[in-house]
Amino acid sequence: MKHRTRTTLALAGTIALLAACSTEDPDAGGGGGSAEGDVETGSGVTDDTITVGMLTDLSGPFAAGAAVQVTQTQAFYDRLNEEGGVCGRDVEVEVQDHGYDPQRAVSLYRSMAPNIVALQQVLGGPTSAAVLPLAEADGMYLGGHGWAGVALEYENAQIPGTTYSIEGANAVDYLVDELGLAEGDKIGVVYFVGDYGSNSLEGAQHAAEERGLEIVPQEITPRDTDLSAQVSALQQAGVSGVILAAAPAQLASLAGVMASQGMDVPIVGNTPTFGPSLLETTAGPALLENFYTVTSIAPYSLDEPGVEEARELYEAADPDGELGWEVPLASAQARLLTTALERACEEGDLTPEGVVAAMRQTSDLDTEGLFATPLDYTEVTEPPTRTVYVSRASADAPGGLEVLGTVEGPSAQSYTFG
Amino acid sequence: MSYFLTQLANGLSYGLILGLIAVGFVIVFTSTGVLNFAHGSVLLTGAYLVAVLQDPIGFWAAVLVGIAGAALLGVLINAVLVRNLAEANPGTAAILMLGVDILLLTELTRRIGNRVLPIGAPWGADVVTFGGITLPTSRAIAAGLAVVVFGVLWFLFARTGAGVAMRAAAADGDTASLMGIRLTRTGAAGWALAGALAAIAGIFLASFPSPGIAPTLALTAFAAIPAWVLGGFDSVVGAIVGGLIIGVVTALAVGYESDLHFLGRGLGEVVPYAVMILVLLVRPSGLFGRQEAVRV
Repeated sequence: MKHRTRTTLALAGTIALLAACSTEDPDAGGGGGSAEGDVETGSGVTDDTITVGMLTDLSGPFAAGAAVQVTQTQAFYDRLNEEGGVCGRDVEVEVQDHGYDPQRAVSLYRSMAPNIVALQQVLGGPTSAAVLPLAEADGMYLGGHGWAGVALEYENAQIPGTTYSIEGANAVDYLVDELGLAEGDKIGVVYFVGDYGSNSLEGAQHAAEERGLEIVPQEITPRDTDLSAQVSALQQAGVSGVILAAAPAQLASLAGVMASQGMDVPIVGNTPTFGPSLLETTAGPALLENFYTVTSIAPYSLDEPGVEEARELYEAADPDGELGWEVPLASAQARLLTTALERACEEGDLTPEGVVAAMRQTSDLDTEGLFATPLDYTEVTEPPTRTVYVSRASADAPGGLEVLGTVEGPSAQSYTFG
Repeated sequence: MSYFLTQLANGLSYGLILGLIAVGFVIVFTSTGVLNFAHGSVLLTGAYLVAVLQDPIGFWAAVLVGIAGAALLGVLINAVLVRNLAEANPGTAAILMLGVDILLLTELTRRIGNRVLPIGAPWGADVVTFGGITLPTSRAIAAGLAVVVFGVLWFLFARTGAGVAMRAAAADGDTASLMGIRLTRTGAAGWALAGALAAIAGIFLASFPSPGIAPTLALTAFAAIPAWVLGGFDSVVGAIVGGLIIGVVTALAVGYESDLHFLGRGLGEVVPYAVMILVLLVRPSGLFGRQEAVRV
């Protein structure tokens, strides 16, 4: 008897697994019919709902920031639905947890694809790299994958702002044009190896060549939270500024050690380097003194209508939540997809391919300050903008960053992709 | 010269902290035969307790709770999971520990979130300077304390009945058991000791120049694995020496990377394992490991 139960269980498991692995035609599911005039629909769209997917990290290393984005995305669509939704339909979000595991992300994508019209988000570099080619083959929109330059190879990917490389190039331009570095100076670049940090380094290297500076690279991993040795090496090399493409723990160590060794030079970080809780650590004073950040997405404190709306939504949805760049980012990503869905509806093609085509017709899109300039997605291999926000650490601004302005330096303009 | 000495002092102090972690690996392995891959999350648990309690009850009281908490967690893992294994197979236990590590780490990640929790130590971000060398005060204290702790361990193992019982149990469990030594007790003592050492290491690893407690702290424990292995798996002295070697080699590799650029970037990450492999090639049982008796 026991054996039979076991066999049945094994069989059931196998069948479930096979079902999950089956590569069903993404166009097969969904309504097929049309409530709104003659809109063609495919997977993920019925007469009264549009379903979009989020593959995110709710149990892995980026769980905390990812949860903020889920909360904010949900709040955005709840409000949108109250206001009438898109194409006469409510937008529903299907959230799945890939735990930062590319293999799991692929399986989840396979099981989700027949039920969604677009992927609002695949969070994480390695996870989105695994899903992007599959989604491209299915003609499925994929957004919210971060800012790695590799995404510009895919027609179906909508990058939320510019790339890490353009951030890195702008960082060098800003150091030279505003923070007093000159030709012949050295800039340290401390970076995570991989599609984030290495991409930022490429941009910085290009800019340094253009402006006649020298880059001193220091490669690290997320495990390195004591950067004493790296700072000593940078000090020995005599750098006049440091660019950091890492995470908050590394930023705090870098700033703290530099201050303790009397290294009073500016630090410019990419978007993911800063978190407001850093100001409460021992590195707080050093950060207030020397930390700047270049970001595609507006910082939490920016006074522009798009960001104000995001703040208001978030504070209602999670009054005790952490105030970071994830909040405006999630709003911006949801706005990008909503724009594509609305255009697809107007064009009468609300299939996954129709959404991608509509996204690629988006030009001169105003996001009310969520991004630094209007966005243009008509060229696949070009970033939609090359302008970034520049902010510095501030004890008074909500989210810990005070916006100084926007930058699109000469090296950011001359950087080529491909 | 002072650059070299600074990097050397950095490496030695970091190496002593690695030694504290590596000794924990050794003690658990010799007392219960378990490759404790949950050591990192035990370390993080101890440090996390200090970070959340330092505000309400003060830093020093929080340190005591953190150390006791990590020791207790070790004892619990041993009592509830390890001792209930049907057969004492190192492979099974190691995989079980990986599972425990994932569970603990997921819960701690959920609690810590994307914050960096300050440890609130009185030495803050101070540095000490002597003879042209600048060293964070926390590292200088860590180095001194580690030496004291190693001294206490030597005394414990060499001069006390409980320590001798633990060594006997490690050397030959069956015989020790026949001699009236209770292996459950020596096992529990080993896990408690390892947990306490991990918590102490965690407090210093989360102090300046590190910013505080973040979930990645648990991964730092894995940096002690090369130290443990090259020291010889079952030798406390080996673990300490291994920690020092790995600490110094890593600091120098990072510090002189620009002169070693023909070896590529990110040298500090690879060098501990390269050194470990080199040592194992020359001495397959590690620097101080017990030679396996081979019968021909």
